[in-house]
Amino acid sequence: MTDKVDAVDTADVAGMNDAPGGTAEPRRPTRPYWRAGLLRGGIELRHLLRNPKEMSGQLTNVVVALLIAAYVSGEVPGTDTPMAHLVLAGFAAYLLFQIGLISLPQMLVTEREEGALLRLRATPGGIPAYLIAKCLLVVVMAVGSLGLLVAATALLVDGPLPGGPGDWLTLLWVTTLGLLAVVPLGAALGAVLPNPREALALIMLPTMGLLFTSGAVFPITSLPVLVQQAAAVFPLKWMAQGLRSALLPDSARAAEAAGSWELPMVALVLTAWAVIGFLLAIPLLRRAARRESGSRLTARHRKAVRSGAVLA
Amino acid sequence: MRAPGPTPTARPVIRARNVTMAYGDLVVLRGIDLDVHRGEVFALLGPNGAGKTTTVEILEGFRQRSAGEVRVLGTDPERGGDAWRGRIGLVLQSWRDHRRWRVAELLTHFATYYPDPRDPAELLALVGLTDQAGRQVDRLSGGQRRRLDVALGIVGRPELLFLDEPTTGFDPEARREFHVLVERLAREEGVTVLLTTHDLVEAERLADRIAMLVGGRIRVCGTPSDLARRAAAQTEVRWTAGDGTAHRERTKDPSRLVWQLHRDAEGPIADLEVRRPTLEDTYLHMVHRADDGTDQAAPAVRGGHR
Ligand SMILES: Nc1ncnc2c1ncn2[C@@H]1O[C@H](COP(=O)(O)OP(=O)(O)OP(=O)(O)O)[C@@H](O)[C@H]1O
Ligand SMILES: [Mg+2]
Repeated sequence: MTDKVDAVDTADVAGMNDAPGGTAEPRRPTRPYWRAGLLRGGIELRHLLRNPKEMSGQLTNVVVALLIAAYVSGEVPGTDTPMAHLVLAGFAAYLLFQIGLISLPQMLVTEREEGALLRLRATPGGIPAYLIAKCLLVVVMAVGSLGLLVAATALLVDGPLPGGPGDWLTLLWVTTLGLLAVVPLGAALGAVLPNPREALALIMLPTMGLLFTSGAVFPITSLPVLVQQAAAVFPLKWMAQGLRSALLPDSARAAEAAGSWELPMVALVLTAWAVIGFLLAIPLLRRAARRESGSRLTARHRKAVRSGAVLA
Repeated sequence: MRAPGPTPTARPVIRARNVTMAYGDLVVLRGIDLDVHRGEVFALLGPNGAGKTTTVEILEGFRQRSAGEVRVLGTDPERGGDAWRGRIGLVLQSWRDHRRWRVAELLTHFATYYPDPRDPAELLALVGLTDQAGRQVDRLSGGQRRRLDVALGIVGRPELLFLDEPTTGFDPEARREFHVLVERLAREEGVTVLLTTHDLVEAERLADRIAMLVGGRIRVCGTPSDLARRAAAQTEVRWTAGDGTAHRERTKDPSRLVWQLHRDAEGPIADLEVRRPTLEDTYLHMVHRADDGTDQAAPAVRGGHR
């Protein structure tokens, strides 16, 4: 990226005999993006950990999981796996889904609206550093909340754990691919949604719908076939199925629609979403960064002041 | 007012020729010509919605112009890379970002993007935020926030600094300190500054040259005294004559009038007062002339320096 940018710069200067200004001066080397990006990620993470709202959200997730485990009784029909385990595996998938498609777009929209993106655009290497920081943040949030959930339920209420090295491996790749499927999509949403409050409202409903139709919280076979087919288009069902294969014993396969974990299909669908997400996210983020400007910021600020949301 | 002053012989840091800008049907800029030289402080004045921010953003590379030629530090802003960005500092009109960050933390972080940044602690002292170093950004007052924006704008030691209404919300003392800071940057470090403001006194105090943007064109451009001279408003001379009556007269040449008065009176003159037209007179005159449609666009580029 540095090479490309520098090439343009040099070509431009070289091609202009009447170039005004001090272009003859030695150009300063550009700092490596990753350093600033990792520093930034670390700072953002610290802010997240210090934010009581964010932290209580995480704790609520754990409490919900514990309540699920305590209140859901009985076995998955046709197996001896506790129903609670199936629900917990689905809940874990939902957590990943939510980080990518709710938390991330909200962060992006907020930072876009407040001008953080614009300031980074005005800073050399700012945008790459921003993306690196966000990736770091999302991975840590995902691993953190997943780890917290699995560890807390395993320790306190005998929740599900991977049964062997193979299952751990499945957990790793399903989590990775699941994040790759939802994070670019979330970034694309964050680039187009109007403002943080509306963004939340717009994302929340479809997400909730998916949560209940994807077989994440109860066996998918109990839903109408049409609903099953619709939900199968979206990544959540496959994330949940992949996590079930990692967290539940193989005997629980009996309750799956296909009678198996369909891991190749899980990989295929999640990869497809990852590709779609990247294809959407890159131009949309570019456009968002390009469109942001001081006058838009001012216009929004004035509107907010008029509506009394912010003090001038 | 300032000792070394800009060097008009060198190639300009900013050069714009016939820049136009339209938002859909709304034509905001109708052909702007600008030359800003190294080390110069250049002020862009104009009523709300005149297109000052638009102009600044075209020069910053944030906005695609509709037509025209622009070179900023030798590069077309629309194709400026990271190395080019690193030589430019900006303070935008309404930033509210990084609210959760602490003041010193934010400044230190942004210093890491530049090869030769200013020391964050010194910079905080320079903008008078040392006491607020540990405070969260969204707990700052409006003026403090603005001073932080200024600090962030110069943390990378830019050669060229864009300031879009930098002193909005400053108290008089902060404003004075800000003026001293800008003068220092320009005089001691040779930083070129392009600022927009609604504060005419500020423009007069800081700027080597002032341009007035009205109706999508630069109406006049020149040193503050140039502008005053070019205005139709004339210098007013007041005095009390020997018989005790108060007189006032408008003239283009106050020095000649006063000299004549002295000769006639053969001695000192009571209550003599020479009142030059202020920049405000000039400004209001320009804006009104544009409203009447009786204007003629004045050439914007000229080598007028004090
Ligand atoms: N993104 C945009 N889309 C459409 N119109 C715009 C946009 N940005 C600015 N304008 C319009 O262009 C005109 C000039 O705006 P600009 O912000 O450049 O003015 P300004 O001189 O900076 O004003 P102020 O003194 O209020 O800051 C205004 O009429 C404004 O409404
Ligand atoms: Mg403006």
